[in-house]
Amino acid sequence: MSISLHAVSKSYGAVRAVQEVSLEVRPGQTVALLGHNGAGKSTTIGMLLGLTAPDAGRVAVCGAEPSRAVAEGRIAAMLQDTGMMPGVKVGELVELARRCYPRPLPAERALRLAGLDGLAARRVDKLSGGQAQRLRFAVAVVADPDVLVLDEPTRALDVKARVEFWAAMRAFAATGRTVLFATHYLDEVDQNATRVVVMARGRIVADGTPAEIRRLAGGGTVGLTRPGPHDGLAALPGVTRVEAEGERVTLHTADCDATVRALAPLDWRDLRVSPASLDESFLMLTEEPEKGTAA
Amino acid sequence: MNAILVRLEIVRALRDPRYLALAVATPIGFYLLFATLFGHGPGVPGDLMVAMSAYGAIWAVLSTTGPRIAQERELGWLTQLRAMPVPAWQVFAAKTAAGIATALPAILAVCLTAALVKGVRLDAAHWTALVAAMWLGTAPFAALGVAIGYAVNADASYVVCYGLYMVTSAVGGLWIPPAQLPESFRAVSGWLPSNRLADLGWQLLGPAPALWPAIGILAAWTALLGAVALLAYRRLR
Repeated sequence: MSISLHAVSKSYGAVRAVQEVSLEVRPGQTVALLGHNGAGKSTTIGMLLGLTAPDAGRVAVCGAEPSRAVAEGRIAAMLQDTGMMPGVKVGELVELARRCYPRPLPAERALRLAGLDGLAARRVDKLSGGQAQRLRFAVAVVADPDVLVLDEPTRALDVKARVEFWAAMRAFAATGRTVLFATHYLDEVDQNATRVVVMARGRIVADGTPAEIRRLAGGGTVGLTRPGPHDGLAALPGVTRVEAEGERVTLHTADCDATVRALAPLDWRDLRVSPASLDESFLMLTEEPEKGTAA
Repeated sequence: MNAILVRLEIVRALRDPRYLALAVATPIGFYLLFATLFGHGPGVPGDLMVAMSAYGAIWAVLSTTGPRIAQERELGWLTQLRAMPVPAWQVFAAKTAAGIATALPAILAVCLTAALVKGVRLDAAHWTALVAAMWLGTAPFAALGVAIGYAVNADASYVVCYGLYMVTSAVGGLWIPPAQLPESFRAVSGWLPSNRLADLGWQLLGPAPALWPAIGILAAWTALLGAVALLAYRRLR
């Protein structure tokens, strides 16, 4: 296993950041760790790198202790919001990282993977936000690690920079390495991950392919046309929200099948059922327990 | 030792215009001013040379350790290093070594000015001994800078370093010869690393150098401040 977490927990005072998380990642997988801020993603990543010691449970990276995996260059990371050494040039910094690792890529190769060719002589503090982010990627990827960890790698990037960044990430993943990235942007998950692990309040609440996550949430929308009033529709099984515009009604539902069955005896036409977008599935998966406690 | 880390630490310090302005140019300027105003007695240009070398060297070392470490902690660069195969002691050692390394240009600049402009003459052995002794004598300031860098934030670290620099320079007799210091200053002056750093040079200019008192006090400060630095560092973990 590239990554193996077994019943791992970590608290900061009264805040239970990670609770009994177990996760196995096979070599070659590209896994998205999806969750809101405070879901436990960064704490989990910190434990993978030996930066944070778990209170309970076992963490192994490539079968070794995290600190050993870091020392052997088997895992490398692009952490959230870590600045780079100021006052040096891009090429110098990548070379520094390269020399720290036992089996690195050539520096030029890492710069090319990160789309930084031609910027080697630029001062680190003179980079744009997108370039700085790609430099952080270069500093991690130059390790040529078995496991590459990226914590919210596209935070604060504009659309163009995000597209460029993911192209670089996919180029690395295509070499057969394991990649784990944390994000709260769902569109990135659909295009860049083969597996999605959803975290909420320190726990893993779902784990599957992007399509499975969508299905797991089971939700979607049911559209139909019928004469009003639409008062009774909100009480149908599964329905969470009703949107009406004249005769056209859109029902947001947690269970399309149940909603459609209940609709059968009613008078309607132009029925249309759509699966939830990943965005909606995600909200459902991460918010469900909160609704439970409220009710 | 991580050679490339040390090299980059030195390179980026030398590239910083503030380093050249405050640690190299300012002591040269003060040296020329003081040596022109007061440098008429025998041996005075040499004594002033030592004082201003120490003055420049101390700032070189403090400014390339304290504020930089504090800044890198806030930036998260030090966290990034922890996620790389770079042991903590290497980061510590690289900071200290680079800080001490940047003292050398500051010392050489003042010595060169003194030799070329004010006619200070020493034989090669004395020049070498003087520069080497004062260079190594900056070690306690490297430990002090590292301690400050880990103990306080970036803004405060600059102020604290500069404040300690000014106070130790004044009380240590780098501005005014120790003999002319007020009585209360003179009592503490000899215990300060700033005074003892210059004392290394002053002794070597004299006929019978007594280096051991200075070495002893500088070594004690290095050990003490090194321990404080280690504690400040551990506290963050």
